[in-house]
Amino acid sequence: MATHFRFRRGIITAALLCLLPAAVFAQNNGGPRMDHENTLPPSPTGPTPRTQDGHPDLTGLWNGLADNLLGVPNQMHNVGIEVGPDSTRDIHSGVQIATWPLQNRQRQNNEQNERAATLLRRMGSNRPIYKPQYWQRVKDFDANSNEEDPSNNCMPAGVPRMGVPSYIAQTPTYLIFVYPGQGGLIATATSYRMIPTDGRKHTNLEDLDGTWNGEAIGHWEGDTMVVDTIGFNSTSWFDQLGGYFHSENMHVIERFHRDGNTLTWTATVEDPDVLLEPWTTTPRVALLNPDPKAVLLESLPCSERDFAHVVTKEHH
Amino acid sequence: MPMRGSFIRVSAKRAMMIAALAALALQTAGGQSNDSKSGAGAKPMAAGTAGAAAGSNASEVAKTLKTAAEAVGLARWSGVGGQHLPEVDVINTMEIWGSGTTYSPAPSSKSGEPWTAFKTDYHVALGYNPPAMRVEMTRTPAGAGAQGGAASLHTIEVVHDVYAWDESEIGADLVAGKGTATPVMAAANYRFLQLWILPYGVIKAALAAGDKTKLSTENGATVLTFPLSGQLAGVTVKATLDSQHEVAKVETRSDNPALTDLATETEYSDYADHGEIATDVKSPGHIVRKQGGHPVLDIQVKMLDANNPYLVFPVPENVKKAAAH
Repeated sequence: MATHFRFRRGIITAALLCLLPAAVFAQNNGGPRMDHENTLPPSPTGPTPRTQDGHPDLTGLWNGLADNLLGVPNQMHNVGIEVGPDSTRDIHSGVQIATWPLQNRQRQNNEQNERAATLLRRMGSNRPIYKPQYWQRVKDFDANSNEEDPSNNCMPAGVPRMGVPSYIAQTPTYLIFVYPGQGGLIATATSYRMIPTDGRKHTNLEDLDGTWNGEAIGHWEGDTMVVDTIGFNSTSWFDQLGGYFHSENMHVIERFHRDGNTLTWTATVEDPDVLLEPWTTTPRVALLNPDPKAVLLESLPCSERDFAHVVTKEHH
Repeated sequence: MPMRGSFIRVSAKRAMMIAALAALALQTAGGQSNDSKSGAGAKPMAAGTAGAAAGSNASEVAKTLKTAAEAVGLARWSGVGGQHLPEVDVINTMEIWGSGTTYSPAPSSKSGEPWTAFKTDYHVALGYNPPAMRVEMTRTPAGAGAQGGAASLHTIEVVHDVYAWDESEIGADLVAGKGTATPVMAAANYRFLQLWILPYGVIKAALAAGDKTKLSTENGATVLTFPLSGQLAGVTVKATLDSQHEVAKVETRSDNPALTDLATETEYSDYADHGEIATDVKSPGHIVRKQGGHPVLDIQVKMLDANNPYLVFPVPENVKKAAAH
């Protein structure tokens, strides 16, 4: 009986925590909403502002569907599952996925919602191809992510797992990225990056102490900002879901492209120590917060998980 | 993992609970298409809005397929921010472990003779997006057909896209010096068939067949009949549902003499969520299959991971080259 109670309490607590970001961002005018009716990327509107040196200006508060943590629609978008009003497709494989229109559906309890969410988040085909000797390890990490996920204990999510920054400040020689920490089952600590764009070269890899965010250097390729990062530790996972570990030799190339009020982000992960081939994320499209007075809210403290109350392997 | 709960500040916990409750309040207010890109094998068909099939009994077919999809946990939605999305087919990758008996003809056997039985450990990794399957079996001769002292036979059979190959170890030939991948292109059709006659494959393929899927009743049971497509074109599937709307029996046949080895009959029973991690995906606990009238498989499912686990099926370069020739 006690075990049953603990199980239910664990599930209920988990469900409540998973909904936490909704409350946080609901206060942010123009920010993401939790009631998506599709997972299609937003269409750009308005002109693309440019800085005095002629480059697109990436400055602003960015959010929207591309955010990592705000519910199933965002997470499906992030893995390339485009759910439209009448059809669903995987943008990577081109496979069309059977879809049943929204009707008077039966209310589900928290367990049912969480189990379905776990499947929905993982149904995409865009998966990094590890060397065969690591296939079981990736699978085990994902299956045991309640205990194994390195971000669960308030460690940084790292690059590129953090995804699209919530705030970008652009100067002629630096970019500043801010990633607020978030509650929820996929808790992350607040993080920032200061990225030189002054033409400097990377430090020799062997001279770098590996970190979660690595050493990043940015440069423009046409209207696309390319951020090249090396010098990681091997602690983090490189995507939000999936148990995708990496080595200290990971090399990440992020691309930021602004079109009107949208910012499209991709990251390519190269890690010949563990991957058979480079892997590129699904493009994530963030929307500019239209409120010129909007500010980033203070993040709630990241709370480490009390695993004594987790008596199931069901996970995010 | 250390127990850290006692370090959470009371004020933080209170704030989080309030925020979570606020989120809840807001919420309250508030066959896969084997398309042209997915290669061969009963090319993922289906898709679009699953309720849109045309035909004389289209609405009944659509209703039946939706009920069947929901019965096994294939059609799903989530209230975790997704309560306004449509239901979608969530089944992509899956892993099955089982044991039982498999049968195959002895090299010297004559037509009509019973096939040799093997005690078998059975492990399947599969994916529908894109379609692929890896069947790993360890077989030990057993029963009347056993050869005394015969060693166990370990096989790994893979199919993906237009390629079929055998592996000496999982992921063979993808890294230099790690095993051998042997192309067996002629086996691709039968291997793909195994994917599409699983209960989930049947529902996906029936949805994909659109208005070619027909509904009938036999002995009080609901029967769906539809053609496969892609490289399995010419094969017709007849699926019988049980009273719980689960796929209970699947028969395949073809009028094409070149595809007669694809005449199969499979029975599924004892449906349950067989996952170590609960998914609400129901799978058969017992699978019995005949091919060309011969028993080929009688497997008890021990465990099934339907949580779309990390399963990949990269094609070794030597297999691609062999196919090109």
